[in-house]
Amino acid sequence: MAPTRTVKSSVKGAKSSSKPSALGAKTKSRVSRKPKAPPPKQQKTKPAQGPAKKKRKIYTDKELGIPKLNMITPVGVDLPKGKKKGKVFVDDQESMMTILAIVNANKEGQIESKMMKSRQMEEIRAARRKEAEARQEQRKSKLEETKDSMRKKRKRKPDVAVGAETSESVPKESKGGKVGRKRVSFA
Amino acid sequence: MRPLTEPETQTLFSKLANYTGPSLKALIAPPPSSSSKEDTRMVFRMHQSRVYYCSLHIANLATSIARPNLLSVGTCLGKFTKTGKFRLHVTALDIIAPHARYKVWIKPNGEMPFLYGGNIVKAHVGRWSEDCPEHQGVVVLKMDDTPLGIGVTARSTAETKRLEPTGITVFRQVDVGEYLREEDTLFAT
Repeated sequence: MAPTRTVKSSVKGAKSSSKPSALGAKTKSRVSRKPKAPPPKQQKTKPAQGPAKKKRKIYTDKELGIPKLNMITPVGVDLPKGKKKGKVFVDDQESMMTILAIVNANKEGQIESKMMKSRQMEEIRAARRKEAEARQEQRKSKLEETKDSMRKKRKRKPDVAVGAETSESVPKESKGGKVGRKRVSFA
Repeated sequence: MRPLTEPETQTLFSKLANYTGPSLKALIAPPPSSSSKEDTRMVFRMHQSRVYYCSLHIANLATSIARPNLLSVGTCLGKFTKTGKFRLHVTALDIIAPHARYKVWIKPNGEMPFLYGGNIVKAHVGRWSEDCPEHQGVVVLKMDDTPLGIGVTARSTAETKRLEPTGITVFRQVDVGEYLREEDTLFAT
């Protein structure tokens, strides 16, 4: 404990010595003492702290396998240990067959769905066509009806007119026939 | 030259499955009588973004040729584009045609227009597979069953029946006329 105190005092002295020039002699004497005293003290202090630190092994995150927080690791940057670098080739028959089976199943599904869609569309189109045809027929029938009605009207009118004329004309004629005989008289 | 990776195999097979039925399996696993030897197994190999279909024996032999010197091995099926899609070549026609799911036979008067790169109009169709959906890959054949190319249906068979004679029924994708038209770029990169 005693030596440490001396060190502190010496340091203080050194600091203080720099300012006042009159105390230079004293400081020199103190400085001359320093080299003898401090090195062993420092050596003592360092080894005392050192081994305690060295005993604790500091593990890095990688060694412990701790996942990094708040980090986005792009795909392919961090490869798991013990895995092959680069491309993974598919060259054995079995894996190729499995890939083919998956692809084929997908295609079958797609074709099936396409067929279903086209059938549904076809049904909808057929229904629409039927509706359109029905409407056309309705329109035609309506038109025919109106035409017929018009024809009837036209027919009736002339009939009536003719009938009226005939009815009127006949008596007239009859009258006329009777009256219509021209008589010539000479007075 | 290298084998295909998993995603590459998937895109290749999905492209082939557009035109072929489930019998595509025969491409990978040939009939049991011939598959007794390991060397006769057929494999897919990629070289300069082109995919080749050849026997393992030939693929192994080809490793003795330096990559820049190797022009072609076996049958070229097509090539991978830079966007990762697969484009079929006319050379794949002979491999696809026997396993075709849907077929379109064209009349003799429609052969030349097709071989010059035209689409197939209804008037040129001799007969076609029934129940074919829209935008489905088909193999185009002559009336005597000689494969002429590959196409995609423009309409389903039901709709095609109502189409006028000049309406397009099949869009051309590949035809054997490319052997002449694409002569310069078909085998050289």
